[in-house]
Order: sequence, then structure tokens, then C-alpha cells
Amino acid sequence: MTTATPVPVEAPVREERTVREPGWNVIVWNDPVTLMSYVVLVLRKLFGYDHVTATTLMLQVHEEGKAIVATQPREQAEVSVARLHAFGLQATLARL
Amino acid sequence: MASVLKRRGRIQVRLDERERNALLDIMARLQTHISRALATTPRAYDDETKQAEFDRWVRPEIERGYEADLDVLRDSLSAGEELLVLTEAQVYAWLRGFNQLRLAAASLLGITEDGWETEASDELRAQPEFGMLMALGLLQEDLLAALES
Repeated sequence: MTTATPVPVEAPVREERTVREPGWNVIVWNDPVTLMSYVVLVLRKLFGYDHVTATTLMLQVHEEGKAIVATQPREQAEVSVARLHAFGLQATLARL
Repeated sequence: MASVLKRRGRIQVRLDERERNALLDIMARLQTHISRALATTPRAYDDETKQAEFDRWVRPEIERGYEADLDVLRDSLSAGEELLVLTEAQVYAWLRGFNQLRLAAASLLGITEDGWETEASDELRAQPEFGMLMALGLLQEDLLAALES
């Protein structure tokens, strides 16, 4: 009966890669009817912005026609767009 | 005359019977046009496949929400009470409902550009939907102001 001499085995080198999904921009578009104060309220409620930040974004929407209001993973961005649509705002999402 | 106040953290809306009936009438007249107005909402995605998934899985829930908001608004106005004390959820339903109705009125009026409030022709101002758009906007502003106060 023989016993094999244990041979030390080197632990395999593990390469761990974090696959980061590219972010998606949540974009709000201007429309001529929705009240500015309503847009500010919606941005504060949905994204937790303070009044100044929400107002700045609203003015960008109004003056430039659109603004990126958040950058999030796709699933989260899709939920954000759906919630913006639920408030009647015009919103889309686009990959960074 | 309609008034909106915030008392003890709750929003109180005072509307007399004539005002409540006028709002219910506006809802009845505009509601059938809401889906057309909201159909102009841009697509969520540029990509056809992703958009189809969004339309299949997400859009129906959004549309159910539109109906639910209008139900909340209609139920409040139909309760026969002059003083309506709204929960926060009801306030948001009212705000979203007013926005839907305003979008519908604007769609009927053919409003597509900023500046319509000051540049509207006399003919446009004479349309009943123009008055509805303005009246709903004033009430929505009052609600927003009370909420922020």
C-alpha cells in the first residue's frame, strides 16, 4: 500500500471582474402645458432633490427643451421614466 | 370661490356646489380626450424591442394609474362636501388628475408651443377648453402652493 505524497497545489489565481452596466440617462422634455411648479414638485418627490436643484433642472427643461434629471442603472431608470409618465411628464431614457 | 389651505399638515380644499359641479363637468368633457393627449408622450426608448417591452409590461400600469387618479378626484368632488380634507395621496392624485385634464384641453386647443398664455388669439381664448385649461391651472397652482407651505 502506498501513499501518495501530497503535492502542494497552488490556489488558482482568480480574476474577479466587476461588470458595471453602463448608466442610463433619464431625460425630461419640455411641454408647453405642464406648470413649472408642478415639474419642480415632481422632481423633488421622485428624485429627492432640494428645491434649488429641482428648480435649476426645471429651468433647463424649459429653456433648453430637455434636461438629464438622473443617471441610473437601466432597470431603475425605466422605473423613473414610468413614474414621470405617471405624473404626466414627458420623459425618456437613453444609454450613456 | 375655491380656496386651498394647509392646516395641521393636511390640505383642505373648499369648493362650493357650483364649483364642484363645474369641475365634474370639465372632467366629463375632457376625459375621453385624455388618452389621445397622453399618447403624444414620447416613447421611453429609441430601441424598438425595448419600447415594445415597455409598452407591454409598464405602460398598462401607468394607464391604470391615470384612471385611478381621476377616480380619486371624481370621488372627492362627488362626496357632496364643501370642505374636502385630503390625504397626501389624494393631493398627488388630484395634481396628476389636473395635469391629465390640462393636457387634454391643450391637445383639443392645438397648443404645441410655449407662450400660449400671452399669445393666444381671441378665437382661442373664446374656446371653452381655454377656460378649463386656465381654471384647472389656477387650482393646481393653489394645491402646489399649499403643499409647499
